Amino acid sequence: MRPNIHVKSKVAVVGAGLTLFRRRMLETPRELAWEAASMALESAGLTLKDIDCVVIGTAPDAFDGVHLNGEYLADGAGGINRPTVRVYVGGGTGVFVPIAAWWHVASGLCRTVLAVAEEKMSPGHPHPQGVFAYIWDPVLERPLGPNLIWIFALEMRRYMHKCGARKEDIALVSVKNKANALGHPAAQAAARITVEDVLNSEVLVWPVNRLDISPVSDGAAALVLASENEARRITDSPVWVEGVGFTLDNTHWYNRELGYPRYVQYAARMAYKMAGIERPWREIDVAEPYDPFDYKELHHIEGLMLARPCEAPKLLKEGHFNRDGDLPTSPSGGLLGVGNPIAAAGVMKVAELFWQLRYEAGARQVKKPVHRGVAQAWGDLMQAGTVIVLGN
Amino acid sequence: MSGGAERRLPGHYLKAREMYSLPGLVEYRPVARYLFSAGQAQSRFLDGLKEGRILGKRCPRCGRVYVPPRSYCEYCMAPTSDWVELPGTGEVHTAVVSYISTFRERMEKPEIVAVIKLDAPGYTEGGYEFAGLFHKLCNIEPEDVMSGRAIGMRVKPRWRPPEERKGDVNDIECFEPIES
Amino acid sequence: MSWWKENVASRIRHYPGKMEVEKYVYTPGVHGLEQAKALKEGKILGAKCGDTIYVPPLTLCPDHKPGELVEVRGPWRVVTYTIIAETMDGRRLEKPEVIAVVKPDDAEGGLIHRVEADQVYIGMEVEPVFKPEAERKGTIDDILYFKPK
Repeated sequence: MRPNIHVKSKVAVVGAGLTLFRRRMLETPRELAWEAASMALESAGLTLKDIDCVVIGTAPDAFDGVHLNGEYLADGAGGINRPTVRVYVGGGTGVFVPIAAWWHVASGLCRTVLAVAEEKMSPGHPHPQGVFAYIWDPVLERPLGPNLIWIFALEMRRYMHKCGARKEDIALVSVKNKANALGHPAAQAAARITVEDVLNSEVLVWPVNRLDISPVSDGAAALVLASENEARRITDSPVWVEGVGFTLDNTHWYNRELGYPRYVQYAARMAYKMAGIERPWREIDVAEPYDPFDYKELHHIEGLMLARPCEAPKLLKEGHFNRDGDLPTSPSGGLLGVGNPIAAAGVMKVAELFWQLRYEAGARQVKKPVHRGVAQAWGDLMQAGTVIVLGN
Repeated sequence: MSGGAERRLPGHYLKAREMYSLPGLVEYRPVARYLFSAGQAQSRFLDGLKEGRILGKRCPRCGRVYVPPRSYCEYCMAPTSDWVELPGTGEVHTAVVSYISTFRERMEKPEIVAVIKLDAPGYTEGGYEFAGLFHKLCNIEPEDVMSGRAIGMRVKPRWRPPEERKGDVNDIECFEPIES
Repeated sequence: MSWWKENVASRIRHYPGKMEVEKYVYTPGVHGLEQAKALKEGKILGAKCGDTIYVPPLTLCPDHKPGELVEVRGPWRVVTYTIIAETMDGRRLEKPEVIAVVKPDDAEGGLIHRVEADQVYIGMEVEPVFKPEAERKGTIDDILYFKPK
């Protein structure tokens, strides 16, 4: 970390845990949170007694169908009678959870933080789509009868137009990520598919087909973060948080260029500056960009400045982003392969970097040596960017 | 421990049939009705639609023109005092073909949905933000969207007859290509 | 600057909307499934955490681990109560309803439920009345109400 920011302590990730990601689960949301939190504590060799503060992340209450979802999850997440906070920036929440945990520790307020994210998408019937309807503006957008996929399709079409990318170029992301997920123990949608399979799947809102989209999931994920002193006591291989960044644009998504995510770039600049990274495309060894839709991964790779604008589809085709490539992206399998329990999916990405940077990812370990990784999530009406840089 | 990456993870998956036959399953129907206020600036904008006009607001400090209008400039934190009338014409920023409804039912006739970048004379935007609307396109074929011909196309609003206008966003039936 | 006066629209428009979720389906959870099965058998469970039993069974004990599920037998007593005179939409009830927190002597916590009694007081001894076995679904309303013992 560069001395351009004053912190009381460096911060490290020292443990991670996940539940299965599945379409519907027996567990209540708080049981899912407990399972992930317990596993994260166990992997750090800690118990709840060792934890000072708790950060909870979960997307709109309307998915779980429980208001005050942060408070509801508190006992499962280990937050009872401790300083506990819930953070929320839509889909960006997942990466915002470790960012919030970072400032709890970096400020000197807490020495150890348990960071837990949970999402249960299965309670809303007939389909969580009905809940998503609530993100649209009630006056100017909802009267048009929109479907959530519209906004992604519009952005994807703009990206294709701006960059000259074809549907088959973009489908490669889905092929790569679903195959990467084959080795992942939480994976819901791991598969060996071809570009033709994606193109032949049901067209929902052209240019978006069913296999361009990540599945609907239940699941939870957790991390343990600690101050430098604590981290060195807990483990020989802490993974340091080298930079964090987050920005929010306005909700007027149709008043801006949809072909490039400026909010992600701003968040990335903030994180890279803190980490002392000047040429991210060379200094980052492994990346977990947010991939709820396949084009989003390319869009975010460009926002993260890991490729020049419009260059990502070409690099993808050349194998640059494969697990054995020069800059592996979504080696976990991402949301497309592992699943998308919204907030938990972002934490899953940070957990993947943690395992990659400790060379503990087993069959999923990337081929090249790794020193630094970046994870990112995006949220809401094309407006929230959250970025975290980790290093070993 | 191998980072948990290899172990069997906790969690019990349920098939749909299994879930609905669980003892102790609770089903609940939410009843929540809302009345959303359009606010000062948007109410005037909607009044404008009823009259067949597209109104925007200009920030006196930076010159940005906002459509849909806002009472404040989010960059300058200044009140936007001037109303401006836009010609209504513009170009298609992006467009897609929707085969599904809000609830994911298959539609017989696909809809074409677009973001329209409106002409705002006197507004020198930086290229990233612009005055624009989210609406439907008509008089255009799905093939035009897929081939890319529709993007950048010049369009104008097709207004509903005055007696059918209600002061909402559907007073514009859709945007349609300007015959050249 | 009084921009809000300058901008007054002819009238402020309003748009109706409603929650577009048909229904929510809540699974009982791993722990709750046992409680649900017990309710169907006419039993009420608590979670044993060390020497203390909690009712309803806590998902997690204070030590962040699930407790052992045990049946609680009572006797149950009224801890606090309130008398409901109106329905949620403001209609006057013909017969006021008593809602109480009832707690078994052998456990901590307590259930919130209806009490059917002519008179109610704090410390009153009560017992649960279950629905007929065939109608039970494993949910809390398998208990119809508590009545004086």
